[in-house]
Amino acid sequence: MTQDGLARAQAAAWVVRLGGDATGEDGVEFDAWLQAAPGNRAAYRRALVLWCEFDARAGDVLAELTAVGAQASARPPAARRSASRLVPPAGRRRSALRWLTPIGGFALAAGLALAVLPPTVLKPATSTTYATGRGQHQRVALGDGSVIDLDAETRLRVTIAGSERRVALAEGQAIFDVVHDARRPFLVQAGGRTVRDVGTQFDVRQRAGELTVTVARGRVEVGSDGSGQPVLLGPGQRLQVDRASVSQLSVVDPAETFSWRAGRLVYRAQPLADVVADLNRQFVEQTVIADPELGKLPITGVIVLDNPRAVMTRLSLMLPIKAVPSDRGLTLLRK
Amino acid sequence: MALAASGPSERGGGDNLLLATFLEKRENLVLFLAARLRSMATAEDLIQDLYLKVAAMEPGADVRAPAALLYRMAANLMVDHVRSAQRASRRDAQWRLETRVTLGSLDVVSEPAADDALVARQRVRLLAEAVAELPPQMGRAFRLHKLEGRSQAETAEAMGVSRKMIEQHISAAVRRLAERLRT
Repeated sequence: MTQDGLARAQAAAWVVRLGGDATGEDGVEFDAWLQAAPGNRAAYRRALVLWCEFDARAGDVLAELTAVGAQASARPPAARRSASRLVPPAGRRRSALRWLTPIGGFALAAGLALAVLPPTVLKPATSTTYATGRGQHQRVALGDGSVIDLDAETRLRVTIAGSERRVALAEGQAIFDVVHDARRPFLVQAGGRTVRDVGTQFDVRQRAGELTVTVARGRVEVGSDGSGQPVLLGPGQRLQVDRASVSQLSVVDPAETFSWRAGRLVYRAQPLADVVADLNRQFVEQTVIADPELGKLPITGVIVLDNPRAVMTRLSLMLPIKAVPSDRGLTLLRK
Repeated sequence: MALAASGPSERGGGDNLLLATFLEKRENLVLFLAARLRSMATAEDLIQDLYLKVAAMEPGADVRAPAALLYRMAANLMVDHVRSAQRASRRDAQWRLETRVTLGSLDVVSEPAADDALVARQRVRLLAEAVAELPPQMGRAFRLHKLEGRSQAETAEAMGVSRKMIEQHISAAVRRLAERLRT
C-alpha cells in the first residue's frame, strides 16, 4: 500500500473508531497518529467530512437508494418478450431487491411492530385478492416483473389477463412498480377512477373516500369512470380527489410519498389527527387523541416507524403533547 | 514547579502547561470529537467549553500528562453532551426536521434557495450511487449503521457477523466512499 493509501485506510478506521464510544486513551493514541505522518491529518479530515455528511443526509440518501432499487426492479429484462417473460430471473430480482429488503423485508428497526408477509409470485391469468391488516406490509411480485407493495390495512385485487393487467384497490395504499407492456396495459381502479400506467412507478392511496395518485417515474393517466378528460401525471406530480370529486394537482417530492415502504412517514404541515390515523395502521397498539383541538396541530417532519411509544415520545418532544398509557395503547393529551 | 510534560507538548505557554498544550492540540481535539458528534460545529463548541474549563483551572496545578488530561476532559464533555443532547439531537431522536418546524402557531422556516436544493439533490444522488456501488456486505453494514442509525452491535446482530467485522466493513466503506467522492 502506498503511503497515501495507508493514510486513507487508517483515517477511515479512525473515523469509525472515534465515531463509536471514544475514551481519553483513544484520544491520546489518535493524537499520536495524527502527528505520525504528514498526510494523516488531511486524510482524516476528508473521511470526517464525508462521515458527517452522510449523517446529515442519511434520510435523503436512504430514500434515494430505495428509489434506485425500485428503478432496478422495474427495469425490463432484455429477454422480456421471450416465453420466459412471466418468470423473472431470480438473480436479477434478488439484486434489485437488495436495497429494498435490508432485514426481513420492511422491518427496519429493532422492535418494529410490523409483521412481514413473504413475497408472493402470482400465477398468470388469475384473479387474486391481497389484504394486509394492521401493522402488516406485503410485497406482491407479479409474473411480468411488476411489483406491488401494500401498505398496512390495504385490500386490492389483481387480475392478470391476456389483454390487460388490472388492480382494483378497494382500500388502502400501494406503490406500483410497473414493467411497461404496450400490449397489456396496467390499470389501477380506485375511488371511481382508473389509473393507467405508461411504464412507471407510482403510489395510489385510497382512504376514507379520498384518492391520491403520486408518480415517481414515467407517466400515468388518471381517468374518471364517469366522463371527462383524463389527467396525465408526470414525475413528481400528485393528483388528489376528495369525497366531492374535487381534484387538485400539486407538485411533491415523490421520495416522501414513497418513504412509507422504507419504514418512514414524511409530513408537511399535516394535522396530527392524520398522522395518528396513519400510525394506527402501522402499529397494533392504538393511539387516541383526547382533545380534538390537539388533532389540528400541524406536523412537519419524518417519523421513523419503530414502535408507537418511541414515536410518541419523539413527537412529544416536538409538540405540546404527552402520551399516557391507556387500555388499548396510548392517549395523547395536551402538555 | 514539578511539571512533567507528556509527548511533544513541552513548548512555551508560560507556567500554564495545560493551557499551552490545549492551544497546541486544539485542532486535534476538535477532530477527535467531531466523528462522534457528527458535526464539526458542535465539536468546535465543545472545545470552546473545554477551553473555558482549562482557562479557569489554577495555572500552577500539578499536571503530569497534559495531553492525556485534555483528551480525557474532552471525552467527558462529549459523553455529557451526547447524553443531554440525546433528546434534542436529530439523529438520536430519529426525528429529522425537514426545512420547517411548526410548533403551535410558531412557524420557523429555513427553506433553502431553489438552486441550493437542486445542488443538494444532486449531491444526495451522488452519495446514494456511491453507496450502491459498494460490495454487498460492506454496503449493507454501512447502510444499517450509518444511514438507518443502528449501533455497530445491532448491525452485527442483524447481519450475523462479529462486531469487529462490522467495524472493518464500515471502515472499508468509508475509505472507498472517500475515494469515490473525492472532490
